[in-house]
Amino acid sequence: MRHFALTIIGRDRAGIVSEVTSVLYQLGCNIADSSCSILGGQFSMILIISHPELHDQQSLSEAFTPLEQNGLSVFLRTLKPGGEEHPEMQGEICMISVYGADKPGIVYRVARELGERQINITDLNTKLIGAKDAPVYVMMIEAILNQGIEIEEVENWMAGLKAELKVDISVRSITPMEL
Amino acid sequence: MAIKDVLLYPNPILKGLCVPIDRLDETVIQLLQDLVDTMVAAGHSVGVAAPQIGDTRRAVVVDVSHSKLGKKQENHGLLQMVNPKIIEREGQTVVREGCMSVPDYTGNVTRAERIVVQFQDQDQQLQVITADGFEAIAIQHEIDHLDGYLFLDRVSSLKTDLFRRK
Repeated sequence: MRHFALTIIGRDRAGIVSEVTSVLYQLGCNIADSSCSILGGQFSMILIISHPELHDQQSLSEAFTPLEQNGLSVFLRTLKPGGEEHPEMQGEICMISVYGADKPGIVYRVARELGERQINITDLNTKLIGAKDAPVYVMMIEAILNQGIEIEEVENWMAGLKAELKVDISVRSITPMEL
Repeated sequence: MAIKDVLLYPNPILKGLCVPIDRLDETVIQLLQDLVDTMVAAGHSVGVAAPQIGDTRRAVVVDVSHSKLGKKQENHGLLQMVNPKIIEREGQTVVREGCMSVPDYTGNVTRAERIVVQFQDQDQQLQVITADGFEAIAIQHEIDHLDGYLFLDRVSSLKTDLFRRK
């Protein structure tokens, strides 16, 4: 079955999910994985969808035209075979909290420390909070630590950044309790 | 001694209410042993509840002493619990849980930090114990199974709830 990545974004209001899923339902699409959230004032939807017969991106795209007319931006991409499968990831999951006075480079510098060590970021959220005259940047990263890497090691990588960026950083294990 | 298959959702047994055990007879001892064997066979998971192996009586086993998280704190080792009941709860903690009956999914669940739980043990003794931390969470998760609750019914936040509280 052909899988597609569908991204929809538009000014938040009630009814967006209903409108989008109505189109998908009428087309006969399956929603495999999805994640939707409000970013700024925009409702943002990311979905992996599939269709048992439709393989043609063009014909799917056309079905979304009414959504565009309702003020939503729609982007559809065809996945390569296997692109819908979640990779097997082994290792401890850690949460890294980074927060402090807003300044350029917070996301990049922290991500670079992880990327250079081939640490896979599986989730990342950032938000600007605080007063207008004293904005605070908050970032939460979930990452999977490669075999043999301990939380303390990640703390050591972050220690230098704390001083450099003048932000607070804490790292902790959030590996799920398998019960 | 028998290692049982762990039932997976949507098996309806996992959503049913389990019945109290009136008499701790040979079949109950057998059930407890099967639960222990199944728990150990599953890479020493930290607990199994009777409905997870298809038995609808109120019995669970918990043992956090072999797990990385449980080892770090005081615990009661292997607990074999018949008709367990939480009689006191204290504090609140959010923990990400997974479950053998719901593979490939985890979620943040709010649990009591410390509980007092009463149960009958395998020797028919009534016990009342206080459990903390990881052990308390494991006991709450397993007792939930006896009432037809999965951790999916308890998920308290999608990922980091920091951004959702307003």
